[in-house]
Amino acid sequence: MILEKNNDYLSYEKKIIPYLDGSLSKEDTSEFEAFVLTHPEFEEKIKTRQLEIQNLKQMIPVALISQEALESIQSEMRTSVFNLLKEDPKGLFDNFRIRWEEWRNR
Amino acid sequence: MKRKDFYQLVSPLSEKLYRYAYTLIPDDLQAEQLVVDGFNAYLLRERKKILNKEINLEDKKEITLLRRSYFKGILRNICDIGVRRSIHFLEQMKDMRPEGYNPFYSLDPKVRFTISLRYDAQFTVEEIEEIVQLPRYEVIEKLHNGRFLLVNDMNKGLNP
Repeated sequence: MILEKNNDYLSYEKKIIPYLDGSLSKEDTSEFEAFVLTHPEFEEKIKTRQLEIQNLKQMIPVALISQEALESIQSEMRTSVFNLLKEDPKGLFDNFRIRWEEWRNR
Repeated sequence: MKRKDFYQLVSPLSEKLYRYAYTLIPDDLQAEQLVVDGFNAYLLRERKKILNKEINLEDKKEITLLRRSYFKGILRNICDIGVRRSIHFLEQMKDMRPEGYNPFYSLDPKVRFTISLRYDAQFTVEEIEEIVQLPRYEVIEKLHNGRFLLVNDMNKGLNP
């Protein structure tokens, strides 16, 4: 009986992170929530894991880009879009538009 | 879709693309170059799809979904190029690491990228599978290993 309880605990403990991640299926999520409702002491474990994830997020660098670098990337992206993507003209005016855009973005 | 519409859709992504490129190569210029190279690779691979896509610019929901799909596509190419490139920069990267992020940059490049996609960009495991081009079990394994190593490091810091 005790062994069965431990197994249950272990399998639900393994589901804490996927539950917090949102990667549990709908069925598993409801099953997990039902288990937590009947085992209030389990909430402590969830809180600990939640805190762990919050701390983990702070270990991931959030690189901020300078305005100059941002403009440089956007300018490169713009040039690439107009150089690498070739639209098929739909008529004479469209042909002019495409050429005009290409000329402007050279 | 017209090229200028495509550009309007993707240009607001540049800041975020840079942020995730930086998790692979922590150097301003290299990360910038990685974004440009990943974007160019994406354009070359998907140009037909992009130009053939019919789009209603009034439909905000469609725009949001499309932008997210382009974001994932470009990230896939950034990951592809960046992981290989970060291996070449392995030695130099030891000096490039920003202060306070040593544990994160000690992880394998793909683990770093997966961790930041999950916990920073909030992508689902399914979306990460698409971006890093790995089967689900490998994505879960990378998330587990990365989390374990970082949490371990964190606990060491708290109880040295």
